[in-house]
Amino acid sequence: PAALPPAPLGFTDVNLNCRNTYEVSRRRSAPEHLPHGGTAPAAPAPPQEPAERARRAGIAGAGSSFAEFFTRNFFTKRTKELKPAVQSAPGWKLFGKVPPRENLPKDSKIIQQEYEARTGRMYKPPPPSARRKNMEFEPLSTTALILEDRPANLPAKSVEEALRHRQEYDEMVAEAKKREIKEAHKRKKIMRARFKQEENIASAMVIWVNEILPNWEGMRATRRVRELWWQGLPPSVRGKVWSLAVGNELNITPELYEIFLSRAKERWKSFSETSSENDIEDAGASVADREASLELIKLDISRTFPSLYIFQKGGPYHDLLHSVLGAYTCYRPDVGYVQGMSFIAAVLILNLEEADAFIAFANLLNKPCQLAFFRVDHSMMLKYFAAFEVFFEENLPKLFLHFKSYSLTPDIYLIDWIFTLYSKSLPLDLACRVWDVFCRDGEEFLFRTGLGILRLYEDILLQMDFIHIAQFLTKLPEDITSEKLFSCIAAIQMQNSNKKWAQVFASLMKDNKEGDKNHSPALKS
Amino acid sequence: MAQKAMPGTSLEGIRPTYIYKVVLLGSTSVGKSSLAYRYVKNDFKESLPTVGCSFFTQMLKLEVATVKFEIWDTAGQEKYHSVCHLYYRGAHAALLVYDIANKETLNRAKLWLRDLEKEFLPHEIVIALVGNKTDLAAKREVATEEGEEFARTKDLLFMETSAKSNHQVNDIFMAIAQELLQREQEKASAPSPHGRSTVDLGESGARTGCC
Repeated sequence: PAALPPAPLGFTDVNLNCRNTYEVSRRRSAPEHLPHGGTAPAAPAPPQEPAERARRAGIAGAGSSFAEFFTRNFFTKRTKELKPAVQSAPGWKLFGKVPPRENLPKDSKIIQQEYEARTGRMYKPPPPSARRKNMEFEPLSTTALILEDRPANLPAKSVEEALRHRQEYDEMVAEAKKREIKEAHKRKKIMRARFKQEENIASAMVIWVNEILPNWEGMRATRRVRELWWQGLPPSVRGKVWSLAVGNELNITPELYEIFLSRAKERWKSFSETSSENDIEDAGASVADREASLELIKLDISRTFPSLYIFQKGGPYHDLLHSVLGAYTCYRPDVGYVQGMSFIAAVLILNLEEADAFIAFANLLNKPCQLAFFRVDHSMMLKYFAAFEVFFEENLPKLFLHFKSYSLTPDIYLIDWIFTLYSKSLPLDLACRVWDVFCRDGEEFLFRTGLGILRLYEDILLQMDFIHIAQFLTKLPEDITSEKLFSCIAAIQMQNSNKKWAQVFASLMKDNKEGDKNHSPALKS
Repeated sequence: MAQKAMPGTSLEGIRPTYIYKVVLLGSTSVGKSSLAYRYVKNDFKESLPTVGCSFFTQMLKLEVATVKFEIWDTAGQEKYHSVCHLYYRGAHAALLVYDIANKETLNRAKLWLRDLEKEFLPHEIVIALVGNKTDLAAKREVATEEGEEFARTKDLLFMETSAKSNHQVNDIFMAIAQELLQREQEKASAPSPHGRSTVDLGESGARTGCC
């Protein structure tokens, strides 16, 4: 993009220059993206087993979040047993939706730095002067913009015109320069924050691995651990902590998983062999059957985190997700497969080995709240919504009244949030942080998170009417950050006139037994 | 059928605005979300499975009135059935969507119709039967005539569409708008005790408290 095309006519060359300044500076941003989206997988690969490297090469060209996922979590997970202290560096954005703003600085230099950090120099960020130099003297639009004389076959510019053009050119260059410096500063700031975060996660990881995990039962409830837990679990211990916190009340062993998995495979095989011709009389039953069978699972797997490109047919985790969900429908035919489950199983698979993911999945879905929702037990769901509304009114009275005035009930937004434990509604890395504290605090935290989201967007929501609120809450902004959300969640008090969530919920259940006729979701104690 | 020409002549001065709640019902993955997405954004992309309900809005400026559609796009899985009545309560129109390449989904649409017949009086709601995925003509399991015939016997609007190739998506929503407006006119000339006022003059009037 260095040379400008010669201006065909004298009076247009300034305009051309303008346009090209714009285009050059626009193009400028493109190379930053290229190594990321297009050739990121070809960038220096961390020293991994050849198999991993091959797999990685195979996915070249996939979307940025996929590349991001593979450079981060996939390796994190696979190597955690080998060298926990070194690969702790990835505290960065894990996977999933990365706000576009943060995508920008992800150029090859940063990939390089991340690589260096991972290979041992992570505790020592490059000297600021060196980084500054890198930032400010890369090829920029200002160096690519050249003021040329008019070609010889055209009449030369007059002195005033040439002078004016020179001046305009200088102004344009100065303007572009200013913009570049500002952008460089912004990128530097983001990078500094990222380094800081990485350091925090690295040191937290050491504590989790060396102190907490070996003394799990004794330490899990201590204040220090609970506080550290709130900060977010380091990705490398996340799966382990989730497993421990969810527990295994059902006493499922990996062997049991294998048994149900083979049963699922048999059913699946026999299903594909039988045709399904039905008349309308038993259509309902047959559709339900079909859905309970493994057909729907197959369909949904490809629709689970499609942007990651790993659960889709041919993707590395496709069969795994299929297996876990299939085995579950055989293990719990009374619950079966319910849409939304695929997201929960997928998040677990991203953080745990296959059998452990299944064990955590089955135990998680066996919790009272999850069981109520996945059995679509409407009256129980209403109890949860009613309890939620008690704390909603307590914490956000203005918004509560606003929603009330539109008869906007919590089922509108809570069904999606609770069913998928926010994994469909929040960016994946943020959803994982919600899961962290959900594992610590239980169901109460799911509802607290909901209130946190309402609080975060309270001002916007107060300006909206019914349909726009419903639209907004079922499709949250993608640029939601964990800092903002968690500070809003922290501000939510789960206390209602000295009653905690469990007590409020219990008294609502008691009301139900006494007077079974009240079907209003807004019923209160 | 209600695919008629524009009713009446344009009013002088103020064009009334109507807000209508339109609910999409049908089996899982027949293309409910895709139809809504195509209609509102004129685009097609793979949708995530809908959990609960998602929402869209679209405004139609017609000669006689402005129509604001509030589209409730429901979860299709049978298991969600028990919560779905939360969503169609108070609807002014319903699209019963099936997949022309999957016979069972038409049967399911018929069951949805039964549910709606229990909830609504015959003229309380405009119902359209929509056979989606005409782009999958090679895999067709439901003949056009079959859908058409069923719609005729039940007095439903009928159209075959493709959200993917953008076939008749606008048309079906337009047909619904015209049918709704026509009923509005009839109601105005012969007010019925059941007539719910849906005229939006600054405030949201069409909202009825639900669940």
